[in-house]
Amino acid sequence: MESIIKRIEEEIAGFAPKGGSEETGIVRATGDGIAEIDGLDRAIMNEMVLFDPTFDRTLEAALKDADPIYGLVLNLEEDGVRAVILGDSAKVYEGMLVRRVGRLLSIPVGDSLVGRVVNPLGEPVDGKGPTGADKTRPIESEAYGVMDRSPVNTPLHTGIKAIDAMVPIGRGQRELIIGDRGTGKTTIAIDTIINQKSEPEATRPICIYVAIGQKESKTAKLVAELADKGAMEYTIVVTAPASSPAAFQFLAPFAGAAIGEHFMEQGKDAVVIYDDLSKQAVAYRQLSLLLRRPPGREAYPGDIFYLHSRLLERAAKLSKEKGGGSLTALPIIETQEGDISTYIPTNVISITDGQIFVLANLFNQGLRPAIDVGNSVSRVGSAAQTKAMKKVSGKIKLELAQFRELEAFMQFASDLDEGTKKQIDSGRRMTEMLKQPNGKPLPFEMEAAVIFAAVNGYFDTFSPEKTSEAEARLQEYLSREANDVLASIRTTREITETIEKDLRAKLDQFVERTGE
Amino acid sequence: MEKFYAQALERLAAKEGADEKGLVTQLMAQLKASGRMKLLPGILRELKTIEARREKLMPAVEVASEKEGKEAMAQAKAAGIEVHEVTVNHALIKGWRARSGSTLIDRSAKRGLIDLYRKVTS
Repeated sequence: MESIIKRIEEEIAGFAPKGGSEETGIVRATGDGIAEIDGLDRAIMNEMVLFDPTFDRTLEAALKDADPIYGLVLNLEEDGVRAVILGDSAKVYEGMLVRRVGRLLSIPVGDSLVGRVVNPLGEPVDGKGPTGADKTRPIESEAYGVMDRSPVNTPLHTGIKAIDAMVPIGRGQRELIIGDRGTGKTTIAIDTIINQKSEPEATRPICIYVAIGQKESKTAKLVAELADKGAMEYTIVVTAPASSPAAFQFLAPFAGAAIGEHFMEQGKDAVVIYDDLSKQAVAYRQLSLLLRRPPGREAYPGDIFYLHSRLLERAAKLSKEKGGGSLTALPIIETQEGDISTYIPTNVISITDGQIFVLANLFNQGLRPAIDVGNSVSRVGSAAQTKAMKKVSGKIKLELAQFRELEAFMQFASDLDEGTKKQIDSGRRMTEMLKQPNGKPLPFEMEAAVIFAAVNGYFDTFSPEKTSEAEARLQEYLSREANDVLASIRTTREITETIEKDLRAKLDQFVERTGE
Repeated sequence: MEKFYAQALERLAAKEGADEKGLVTQLMAQLKASGRMKLLPGILRELKTIEARREKLMPAVEVASEKEGKEAMAQAKAAGIEVHEVTVNHALIKGWRARSGSTLIDRSAKRGLIDLYRKVTS
């Protein structure tokens, strides 16, 4: 024992001090997750800083709690900086030493993140140990420029008939999902993730679901559902729950975008769902007010538009020279009482390439997904729609619009002429056909076949109320009896004359066997 | 507003050959003329804050033991931090550390051990 003590004493005596100069500051005041720091004269915006709890403690006390707490510089002021604390803010105290880290806020990214649940700093929260991500990437980065992009030309199938037929989404597009709470916005996003399972593995996009300000129980349920359906094999969940600091909720979408960009730059396709940006805006408002930035409309800071535009602009379809990868963004916005004219919804509507409106009254009528066809639009998606889908869906929107106009007369049905009655029935059948249960997205070829049957009157032998039932039977029939036709649609991605002839033959057979 | 007045005063006072008495007289005259005399207590408070901050960031050197003082001062001077006295901080175990404004030079055994601990445990 004595020799050990002696040797340690010798080691200490022989200690040659090293260490260069570093830039530091001292916490002047702290509260509400924000620290005001004196010093740090050369700190830059969005730089990481490290709150060092060991500086003014003895070695023994320091080793008991040596974990550094990170912060993010968000305000550069004449007499210091203000930073948000990315960790347990209760551990930050006045007089604490703060060091510059010398790099922008970055997160670990890598293929090994697939299947994992992480927080906005890329730390695993699913209890499965380290993620093994081997690269780091700044969470804020500039979006690709015009010359690096190519037009959106590949479809992203959601598996939801109403969307794929009428509001098609392309890979690299930004399509907003907007509606009141509890109207099925998240369901659309989750079905989209689940549906990617039906895509060939080589072209299957990596899905990133960013949960912002959600209940942890909801996120846990969602992860379980994705795992249950085998969708976690190609999905990453970034979570900043309601209980996390506002800084985490503000950063989560940027972390999701950074992860998505990692895959995009490898020439792969990625889809990132921001659920939801209204909560991120609220978190950013909270931070901005605490940072004493001047409030603007609805107390949001002046750069709230820039917050969302710089995030969504990172969605892109890259040119061939850049690898041809894509990042599709599906932001979600929650409205109050269906009011889309408030500040954040109007901002995000103007930024995105289209929107899917979900309406509470349609949802309550049992029309699910409760998509308001009239107000939903996709500005670039039709260029990416497959020929097959284009061919079958051409008439749907028009027919539904006519049906909505005539719908008001439905209560006087007995006084209507035959033509109008027929049109109303056809609209009702179409509406019934577009209904789809949760968690059951359809592969693209099945969607095309079912819509083909609907627009070509193959459900006309069934009463409108029984269309859903007939459709279910048709799906079963087609997957049993018309696998070759479905496979041809899947491979050719169009309904050629031969395929149409075969499909019609199968549909005639179906009507013959099951028609009323 | 008080902060701006205090910062302006601090800058003017830091200039070589500044007449502090004259600055105060001019400030009072300016405040009176613009009807802002009630800002005066606030300006005083801000000045005290600035002074406290400056003191906090003043050059200082800590050493683990008194016998290391001279060498530490010399090394700190070579690194750009000049002080005339050092404080003893046994928690450093060995070596020294110096601060001036935003700059910190930490050549203590405590820092070395903590860095080693973090490397081993991360």
